Amino acid sequence: MQNDTKNMNFLDHLARRMDWQKFLFAITLTFFLTSILFPFYWMVASSFKTRAEIGGREPVYVPGSLRLDAYQELLDPNNPAYQDFGVNILNTIKVSLPTAVIAVILAVFGSYAIARLKFRGKNFMVNAILVVYLFPGILLIIPLFSMLARIGDSIGFDVQDNLGVLIFTYLAQTLPVALYMLTNYFRTIPTEIEQAALIDGCSRLEVIWRITLPLAVPALVSVAIYTLMIAWNEFLYAFVFLNSHDLFTMPIKINTIWNDPSPRPNVVMAASTIMTVPIMVLFLALEKYLAEGLSAGGVKG
Amino acid sequence: MTALSEKGTAVARRRRWKSMDAQEARLAWLLISPTTLIVFGLVLFPAFFSIWISFHDVNLGNLNDVFHAPFIGWDNYRAVFNDFAFKWQGLDNWGAAITSIVYTLAATILTLIMGLAASLVLNRPFRGRGIARAIFLFPYVAPIVSVAFVWRWLLDPRPSGVLNDILMRLSIIDLPKAYLSTRGIAIILVIIFEAWRYFPFAMLMILARLQAVDRTMYEAAKVDGANTWQQFWNVTLPELRYVMGAIFLLRLMWTFNKFDDIFLLTGGGFGTNVLPVLTYQFSFKQFNFGRGAATAMILLVILVIFMAFYVGIVMRNIDEE
Repeated sequence: MQNDTKNMNFLDHLARRMDWQKFLFAITLTFFLTSILFPFYWMVASSFKTRAEIGGREPVYVPGSLRLDAYQELLDPNNPAYQDFGVNILNTIKVSLPTAVIAVILAVFGSYAIARLKFRGKNFMVNAILVVYLFPGILLIIPLFSMLARIGDSIGFDVQDNLGVLIFTYLAQTLPVALYMLTNYFRTIPTEIEQAALIDGCSRLEVIWRITLPLAVPALVSVAIYTLMIAWNEFLYAFVFLNSHDLFTMPIKINTIWNDPSPRPNVVMAASTIMTVPIMVLFLALEKYLAEGLSAGGVKG
Repeated sequence: MTALSEKGTAVARRRRWKSMDAQEARLAWLLISPTTLIVFGLVLFPAFFSIWISFHDVNLGNLNDVFHAPFIGWDNYRAVFNDFAFKWQGLDNWGAAITSIVYTLAATILTLIMGLAASLVLNRPFRGRGIARAIFLFPYVAPIVSVAFVWRWLLDPRPSGVLNDILMRLSIIDLPKAYLSTRGIAIILVIIFEAWRYFPFAMLMILARLQAVDRTMYEAAKVDGANTWQQFWNVTLPELRYVMGAIFLLRLMWTFNKFDDIFLLTGGGFGTNVLPVLTYQFSFKQFNFGRGAATAMILLVILVIFMAFYVGIVMRNIDEE
């Protein structure tokens, strides 16, 4: 190896410096990073382009300047093509926040019962709730739609264009995961503390409120963010259950803009950026807690 | 308790009512009932109701009076099996059933391979690993609508589409192509999209397993003279077999059931029509809910048969080895 280093070309130098393992590692890492980051860069970059830059003969890889045309079309009432996207943002919040809060509250009760209390039929119930994973959303939407249409007819509410109904269906989708994640977490909290409190004369509900919940804060946060994300991103049910443009959630509105006869990808990308950024910020801030939950529960779908 | 119940059942009942265990059980039922009500009412009951609908003629006209829909036996199933969108019509037109199976298997396997590669990369210590791990999770966390439309925009048929631009600059193609509306290419692209979006799930689970592998096994292998590749093949992979089996099953199930991805990318056209999209088309385009429910039931039956086969044979083999 030592003989005549002068005759070595660049590649030989490189080959001496790195072994194939490091090379493979670098290639794979680069491949993953570019294939992930470029689409996200493209989304944000495209959202700052004008219609001329979007429809040109070739793509503009770096926007000339941060043009807010697309955002104005979405949010500025004075724009001729105003989309009133603010309403859609609000609708998404109106649906996803209650879903997250209610799911966490119900899941706390349910998973405490499963993790700590003995009762007949527990195994059956746990399995029945987990079976939900098996059913495709598309299978459930037909019976749900006709069932809720029938019930709504007799009680007096509309299935379509009703954000409340949407929240209920989201709860059905998120509760099993929330229950699963929280049960696993509660099982890791040692029972001795709770036993001591029980002997001291606390009731079960007091034990949950004063001891279990404070210890479970990380899990509660991750379950809340997790269900919020599912409701925030949900497409199918909102697509079928919502007809009126004033009640569209962001995903449905974005789909509508994309399918508009005059294509405006910059507006779609701006709306996507608005929808994606809060979720990504939340995720990055809480990544440590969430990663565990993501692998424990798995997003259904 | 038995002695008491002979004396007087009333006393015994009150005792049992007051006993710690019974009290706990009552509390448990109280705590879990809201969840149970929602899950049973909005998932399990509809699932059974779906079977009922698939044997009845339910359409937009009698949707509000669905319980009196006329019974039509297997007609819905017959109609689905004879539908040109469902059945196999040759190599250039697979039909939704075969497309679903091919798409699901290919996407699941590709997801597993990408997840394995990503987890092996992240299992090595390097500067910025924490950030890299967070970035690797992006596709999985971002809203499906956003990422689907970014992909459509990258694959745009106009010359301003990024893929068209790159391939034209490299002189691989002369004219811009409409990738997502070309039979053959479209199905490959949705499979790649699926792997791109869901590999982080596989990655997280494999990574957790990798970090639990006993270090001494690698040292023993090194002492025996195994190189890196042999260590991977003989130590790492066997350790990962069980978790890979579990991921395969979960991803397969979810991919088979998935509606959003393909609907948003291609709308189910150009050789990418899968059973969930077909179900949607029957139900909410033609408003033939009975036929839609029958399609969904066929989907579920295929899935259950496969899972029974997989759990019964493949997973048992893993256990025995």
